[in-house]
Amino acid sequence: MTDEIDLSRLPPPEPYDEARDKAQRKRLMDVWREPPGWKIISAVNNSYIGKWYLLTSFAFFTFAGILALMIRMQLAVPGNDLFSQQLYNQLFTLHGTAMMFLFAVPIFEAVAIIILPEILGARDLPFPRLSAFGFWCFIIGGIFVCGSIFFGVAPDGGWFMYTPLSSDPAYSGLGTDIWLLGLSFIEVSSIAAAVELIVGVLKSRPPGMRLNLMPLYCWYVLVVAGMILFAFPPLIAGDLLLEMERAFGWAFFDPDRGGDPLLWQHLFWIFGHPEVYIIFLPSIALIATMLPTFAGRPMVGHSWIVLSAVGVAFLSFGLWVHHMFTTGLPEISLSFFSAASEAVAVPTGIQIFCFIATMLVSRVRPSVPMLFAGGALAIFVFGGLTGVMVALVPFDWQAHDSYFIVAHLHYTLIGGMLFPLFAGIHYWYPFVTQKALNARAGKWSFWLMFGGFNVAFLPMHWTGIMGMPRRVWTYDLSDGWALLNMVSTIGAFVFAAGFAVLALNVLWPRGKAPLVKRNLWNAGTMEWAAEVPDKPWGVRSIPYIHTRYPLWEQEGLVDQIDRGEWFLPDAEEGKRELIVTDILDARPLFVQRVGGPSFLTLGAAFCLGASFILATFHLWTITLIFGAGFVGFTLWWLWTGTSLIPEKPEKYAGRGLTLPTYAQGNRSPGWWAVFITMTGDMTAFMGLVFSYFFYWTALPDFLPSAEHLPSFAWLLVGLALLIGAWGMTVGARETLGRGQRGLSMALLIGALPVGALGIGAWGWSAYAKGLDPTAQSFDAMVWMLILWPALHLLLNWVMSLYVAARIKFGHCTPEYRADLMNLALYSHFLALTVITIFALLALFPLLMGVGS
Amino acid sequence: MRRSIFLIIPALLAGCEGRHNWLASAGAEAQRVEDLFWVLLVGAAVIWGIVIGAAVYAHRRQVDPSLETQARRFILWGGAVFPTVVVGALLVWGLVILRDITSDEGDLTVRVDGERWWWRVIYETPEGDVVTANEIRLPVDRTALFRLTADDVIHSFWVPALGGKMDMIPGRETTLALTPIETGNWGGLCAEYCGGAHALMRFDAIVMEQSAFDSWLEAEAQPAEIAAGDPGFEIFQEEGCGACHTIRGTEAQGPVGPDLTHLASRDKLGAGIYDMTPENMARWITDTHAMKPDIDMPPYPDLQGERLDRLVAFLMSLD
Amino acid sequence: MRHGSDEQPRHFTPPGDAPRVIDQGSVWILVAAPSIWAAHFLLSYWVAAIWCAKAGPMASLVEPRWIIVALGLISAALIAWLGVIAVRRYGGVFVIFEEITESSERGRDRFVGHVALLLCVLSVVAIGFTVIPGLVFATC
Repeated sequence: MTDEIDLSRLPPPEPYDEARDKAQRKRLMDVWREPPGWKIISAVNNSYIGKWYLLTSFAFFTFAGILALMIRMQLAVPGNDLFSQQLYNQLFTLHGTAMMFLFAVPIFEAVAIIILPEILGARDLPFPRLSAFGFWCFIIGGIFVCGSIFFGVAPDGGWFMYTPLSSDPAYSGLGTDIWLLGLSFIEVSSIAAAVELIVGVLKSRPPGMRLNLMPLYCWYVLVVAGMILFAFPPLIAGDLLLEMERAFGWAFFDPDRGGDPLLWQHLFWIFGHPEVYIIFLPSIALIATMLPTFAGRPMVGHSWIVLSAVGVAFLSFGLWVHHMFTTGLPEISLSFFSAASEAVAVPTGIQIFCFIATMLVSRVRPSVPMLFAGGALAIFVFGGLTGVMVALVPFDWQAHDSYFIVAHLHYTLIGGMLFPLFAGIHYWYPFVTQKALNARAGKWSFWLMFGGFNVAFLPMHWTGIMGMPRRVWTYDLSDGWALLNMVSTIGAFVFAAGFAVLALNVLWPRGKAPLVKRNLWNAGTMEWAAEVPDKPWGVRSIPYIHTRYPLWEQEGLVDQIDRGEWFLPDAEEGKRELIVTDILDARPLFVQRVGGPSFLTLGAAFCLGASFILATFHLWTITLIFGAGFVGFTLWWLWTGTSLIPEKPEKYAGRGLTLPTYAQGNRSPGWWAVFITMTGDMTAFMGLVFSYFFYWTALPDFLPSAEHLPSFAWLLVGLALLIGAWGMTVGARETLGRGQRGLSMALLIGALPVGALGIGAWGWSAYAKGLDPTAQSFDAMVWMLILWPALHLLLNWVMSLYVAARIKFGHCTPEYRADLMNLALYSHFLALTVITIFALLALFPLLMGVGS
Repeated sequence: MRRSIFLIIPALLAGCEGRHNWLASAGAEAQRVEDLFWVLLVGAAVIWGIVIGAAVYAHRRQVDPSLETQARRFILWGGAVFPTVVVGALLVWGLVILRDITSDEGDLTVRVDGERWWWRVIYETPEGDVVTANEIRLPVDRTALFRLTADDVIHSFWVPALGGKMDMIPGRETTLALTPIETGNWGGLCAEYCGGAHALMRFDAIVMEQSAFDSWLEAEAQPAEIAAGDPGFEIFQEEGCGACHTIRGTEAQGPVGPDLTHLASRDKLGAGIYDMTPENMARWITDTHAMKPDIDMPPYPDLQGERLDRLVAFLMSLD
Repeated sequence: MRHGSDEQPRHFTPPGDAPRVIDQGSVWILVAAPSIWAAHFLLSYWVAAIWCAKAGPMASLVEPRWIIVALGLISAALIAWLGVIAVRRYGGVFVIFEEITESSERGRDRFVGHVALLLCVLSVVAIGFTVIPGLVFATC
């Protein structure tokens, strides 16, 4: 690449000038300062959003923990009538739901939002307003789901909501709708965070941080965010099917109408098992980041850890049926999943052994974080070993749904996730607050929690062996489970006491306590380059990185950063700026301007939350009003904050580097965000495709006779029109590139009716043949496969009109046309979707010999 | 809390009879898993000890650069090769056991249908189906093939002492083979959460000698013997019990609730949860939802005094 | 190599280059080997599921068994080919104390090649695990 800049041969920095330094610092401060007073809620910077995210997640953790204590109180003695059956069923459902969806996954996002940009030496993540939006969605949805218990309508179907218990309104009430819509809403925020983090790791690395130099934490974040992208969407597809059955009676899970309850289990666990690793890997990432600091040397087997993270991520998608070993599937099918469940032990073992090997060749400084890491190892290894046991089908036939599993899952999650997280809290607390935690209290909380945990959960294995099934609200003295349960209850309260000590330690006001010294632990990663007291801008100037542990291996780096000798030391134009780099070698591509504080994201999240909540109560009119409000706020936010044409095409970034101020297509983070979001969207669609084939394999007469198939001719006409609409969108991109603004707008707006006619033809093909989604699973599936592109087309129309307006008002021009490029990318995915649907609805029945 | 802790403690120690214990060795299938379990337990303990021991050792010792080669071997052999070999071997062993304990044939076939929250049990005999509920009797050393279905939501059929569990799924039929090898009264449970009174969905699995089993099944196949004009039966019909319950040999042919033909021959009342006593029966009829919340059977609080006594006496005579 | 999606505003030439998809230096080789495992896994599952569902539960599994083994061999061969690419084109090596921290394109290539090679080994092991059930079970 001829025009490549050799970062290792940059001109020397300008000599230090104190006045200039002061002026630059003032300008940076003005740009990055957060709004004062109550307006702070409009803040979008990662350090604020991350902190709020973290505290909110812990609030939900505390809530779910209190539910757990209530569960333990009820089970402490046999024949207890402290809580009613109805309340108890709500308690355990909400405990599992809140721990999984409102704590375990969000806490990963929270921690990543706080430390990822700092580890990358970046000022913020590439889409700060998206982070803010995700956070507000999370808190609204979380309060909605949790609050339901105070009105006695909390979900009570167990956290995996098996159909038909959850699908038939005769067996489950409003709680299930609250669960479905509340969590779908939170899943949206998780996917938003995943997009943000993937783009963050790929495009926001500091100049020079090539793939081989990227810190392990970033690898884990990349892997986990990628997993979210492939794991959450199938559940969203499942939620959609389930809510359609509950609200409108569509026949997906009702066996009397050709549905199948097992479909839900597949869709749920395709999400649910990777979820376990989505929870586990980010916490292991924290240990992988802390351990080198305390060992005082780089991680042994850095690349082996990358291998195991990627390997675990893949294998974790081949485990889902091990939650369904007792559903009577053919033994050979079960065995494949048993094999993958065993195989995943190999990369997990490699990870653990790399940690131990690092300790072996160094002298690890004792500290509270390492104490928690050690406890994590002891607990997690135990949970992993029982995991190897339950992955064997015959063993699982005994252990499944018993307290053995309850013990196993808490060993893996608390050992694999909670203890490493607590280690991380102790490690990064000084980074976030510039104050030190009380180490004595830290040790107390560790020993209380470690002891309490084992007292609570070790006997539970035996309770399971004694035959106690999970989710029972009472048992009899003659069952012989009483003593074990009493011990578990005592342990649970000791554990809770330990957490209370930790919470008190963290929340203790330390206003007058002295600030900690900079880089307190003598770490090698970039986040510790932050000044004490910290500044809202993150780093004073964005350095060139050419080692894995820059603070250890790049001498004088911190001083150079402080003196503003590196890139973007200034904010002359009064804009928040980041450097976007390329994926492989982190070569600087352009200077990205990101949004500052805004109430628009709050408004968008509020309206979206309100529409989900109102949909729960089937108040369709106001749901639509708030839905429109969401669209309005979002468009306003996009219009005023994204793809703005810069005042100058390029700017000087320091050290002889001049960078463009605008990028479009695959150089811009926005394009990648669309690409990644649509990959997730395709995964959700694949969930529907899976459902279609699942019915076909599971039900002998799923495909009806030829006269009940949607008409081939109309499907073909619809396909032609939909592809035509796609072609017009692509044409609009080409014509705008050639400067034909009018033609481009005409093509964009012209694509609207063409697409509408196309989807209309598809609807007609099913309607004319009398397909009734409430009558048969095939009909329901066909209508769902028409509804899906119809909803996407609706979004496409909004986007087309938006881009046409951008062209009209000169915000999208023949040169600066990022908006249109992103729209074209969206429509590529839509085209792929409609072609697949055509294959399913028109070609597959023909292939199977039932077509006309 | 209803009972005082002090009353419980002695009972606790006495109460460990282990009716639901996987390790009770009461069934051939459970025994295979038990063999597997002890090996897994010892193996897991040893591996856990070695890994944690290695971590503690690594933490305590001084830095020694010459250890780098050892650490490298440690990762390769301990972290990669050893787990691969161990879990590979376990996988093969587990699959072989799985192949051995599954069977599509049995010496007798029992259909069990999961209902909210009780069990409809149907023995298939050459003379026709024998219907009962909430209690399963099996001959020792014979393989029983269970054909499992569910009517409303998913349940799971589990007799831990005899073998593994199998889900009962609406719209499907699953099968489970169990071979009891020890006589006794073993506990059965619903293992899959089925809403409401999931905790109170139990049954007794009574393993008997073949001859005793044969005579029991023969008795069970007979219609009920009711004296003509039994006042209890008249109350039974007047209160409409026959709309839901069947007593074979009478006009009570309700298909909704458990079959009551030989009700009093069962050990337990209310799907394996209360002893079959007149007191419990009377309370069950008048205060049903206090004994088992949420169930479909309505309580009959107005049924008191002599009418209740007669009805209870009638029901207790159905053996 | 320029794609439609890589056109930038015309006044200046931005430095750097768009990510490469299949050339040397692409990162896709990292996910190629595990993807082959995933494909093999899903195909094996489908072969067995369709066979069991469509050919009756008591049907002999002789044919699917050999299909699964053949799929395993093909996948392993594909992964071996990927491994060769990882070694030859990227300079991947099989070591544990890797010090591939050189700040250069070559260093990055070697790192990617090294991790890709490790993933090839892991994927072959996982495929071996997936083949085992095919050998143990002769019926559905």
